[in-house]
Order: sequence, then C-alpha cells, then structure tokens
Amino acid sequence: MVAVSNVGKRFGHRWLFRGLTFEVTQGHGLVVLGRNGSGKSTLLKLIASLLPPSEGAVRYDFQSPRVDIGYAALDLALYPQMTVREHLEFCGRVRGCPSRADELLELIGLARADATPSAQLSSGMRARLKLGMALQPRPKLLLLDEPGASLDADGRELVAGICREQLKSGALLVATNDPQERAFATHELELAG
Amino acid sequence: MNSSWPAEIRAILWKEFAGELRSRTGLVTGGLFCLVTIVTAATALFNEDVNKRGLRDVCCSQIWVIVLFAAVLTLPRTFLAEEEQGTSDLLRLTARPHAVFWGKAIFNLIQTAALALLVAGLFVGLTGLEVRYPAMFLLCLLSGGAAMTGIVTACGAIASRAANRTLLAGAIALPLIIAPCQWGVAGLRSATGAGFPQDGWMAMLGLCAYAALTLLIAPWIYATIWKS
Repeated sequence: MVAVSNVGKRFGHRWLFRGLTFEVTQGHGLVVLGRNGSGKSTLLKLIASLLPPSEGAVRYDFQSPRVDIGYAALDLALYPQMTVREHLEFCGRVRGCPSRADELLELIGLARADATPSAQLSSGMRARLKLGMALQPRPKLLLLDEPGASLDADGRELVAGICREQLKSGALLVATNDPQERAFATHELELAG
Repeated sequence: MNSSWPAEIRAILWKEFAGELRSRTGLVTGGLFCLVTIVTAATALFNEDVNKRGLRDVCCSQIWVIVLFAAVLTLPRTFLAEEEQGTSDLLRLTARPHAVFWGKAIFNLIQTAALALLVAGLFVGLTGLEVRYPAMFLLCLLSGGAAMTGIVTACGAIASRAANRTLLAGAIALPLIIAPCQWGVAGLRSATGAGFPQDGWMAMLGLCAYAALTLLIAPWIYATIWKS
C-alpha cells in the first residue's frame, strides 16, 4: 500500500529522522511512537504528501493520495466561516467522491451541529469533523495523528471503532503515545528523536 | 471515484465566494480604498474641466492607479490567506493544484472586473469625464483587469509559501504590472478621445495577451510550489 524507503527529514541543519524504511500493507495497523519532537507528526505528513522528504522516497501502490489517503490531525486547520456540513460537502466535491455528509455526520456525532461554523466548534467537535473528512473517500490508508487527544470517552470509543473497521478493508497508521491507541497496532515503530 | 476539472474548480470558486460574502474582507479593504481615493480625486478635480486634453490623460491614469492598488491590496489574499490561516494543508489533502489555482484565479477575475467597473463608473460619474467610445472603454477595463489579475494572482501564488509573503507578493507584482498599466492608460485615453482609436485597440490586444500569458504559465509554477 505504501512503501517508505530510506526516508529522512530535516529542518534547517537538524535531522528529525533518517534512514526510515518500512512498508504498510492491507490489514496493517502501524503505530508510530516517540517522545514529543521525535517526528511522529512529521512522518505522517510525509506519508500524506503534505511535506516532501529531505531524502528517500515514499511510494504508493494506489493512484491518487488525495482520494486513497485519509488524514486527520490536531493541527489540521478548518475554514472558520464554513459549517460542519459545508466542510464535508466541499471535500467531497474537490475529491470527486460522494460527500456522504448525512452518514458521516451521524457517525461522528455532529448531526445536530451540522450548520455550525467551524470557528464555533469545541476542539473535540473539530477533531470529530476532521475524522469525518478523513473517512469520506473510504480511504485505503488512514493516517491519524493523536486521534484521541481532544476527545471525550465517547469520542475515543468512536476512534476505536473507526480503527477496527479500517483494519478490515485497508491500512492504518496512528501517531500516538496513548496506550489505548497502541491496542490497534499490528506493528510498532518508535522514533528515537 | 471520478473527479472532473470543472466540478473541482467550481467547488473552489464556491468556497472563495462563500468566504468573501461571510467575511467581506476584500469588499471592505478594496471597496473602502476605492471609495476614499475616488472621492479625494473628484474633490481635487472639482470645478475643473476634466475633458481638457491634459486632465483627460491624468484621469485615465488615475483610474488605473486606483484599480491597481485596490487589486494589489485584495487579490494576493486569496492565496496568502490559505497559508496564514493554515488551511493550505486541507487543500493539499483534497484538491489538485491546477483546480485550486483556476478556482481562485476565476474568483479574482470576477472581483477585479467588478472593482474596475465600480472605480471607472464612480470616477466618470463624479468627475464628468466624457467617454467617447463606451465599448472600447469597457473592454479596456475588463482586459486590463484580467492582465492585473493574472500578474497579481501569479505573484500571490508564488509568494504564498514565503516568510514575508504579503510584502513579497506586492514587491514581485509591482514591476511586472507597469507595462499593463501603460497599455491600460493608452486604452482609456483612446476611449475618452484623447488618443487614436487604433492605439486603444492595440493596447487592448497587448492586455489580453498579457493576461493569457500570465494565467497560462502561473498554474504550472503554482503546481511546482505546491509540491515543495
């Protein structure tokens, strides 16, 4: 599904990590561990094609990362004036996939807040919306960066359900230090930092 | 999943319109600037016969200066705002760079056309400037607006990832915009009878070519920056 080959990333003169090589295939749940600043989020961004690697390559065996990869992270910004529903519909239109807005709003528990601008959402609700946007294209690879960080107990249960479903039909990559989220791992990768 | 270019571009265009209608940033910034400068210019020209040859030239260049500065204030923001509010990652995850560029460029084209028509209309109305060839006047405004949009949009897209992006976008755009401004002034001069009509048509040809060139090249530059 995705092959990371000798990948390294530096910012200025400082290397965050180097020489990473691994593959994630269908049914794999790779949990990326490491202390703060070790590069967990950066690695996920590299795989999501949000950042280019400083060395090495990331190869996919699917055609288009923007429809085959779902990505959700705390620092992913939303359009403040756009409502919850509008975010899902917009993402569907630019991706060229059905928005599944009603279905996803029920799943992520934001059906009643669908007309709320994202600037007025709590951090937990924003996290749920980002999960919804990540799941929208039924991605082959789901990348979650600290998915439970802003969520309540129900939200963490939601994440658990999403992860279990994803492993049935695709692959999962989670960056976390949460022991509960490590439970989804079929493999672990620890970044030394 | 089948995604068509027109649908993607329409989605980006809708986002830009929805954002502008809700925040009114461009409207307030550009609109207020235009209003204040036009009223100031009209006050300065009060009781003057603006249709005298020398003043007609000044009025034609005034119109373009106002449109230019309003454009430089408002147009780069369509790209710069994405980086400033952090939403460029969301676009990179879901959209293709050419669709993003064209959606934003079309929004800018519409914005500039409205701005140019507003500025020219108010200016002519308040100063009494005579328009001898209305079709040429209108086409010159639209083609000049398109040329400005091409340059300023391209510079905004190029500068969007830089540290001092707002300043850089304006700094890159201003020298590139001198030629279209000169053609724009020449076109309006002809339309107001201060120059020969054939000069006006030639100026418009230059403006259309400039607009086409910048708008055709810029998406490819933007796509390269998108990946970095």
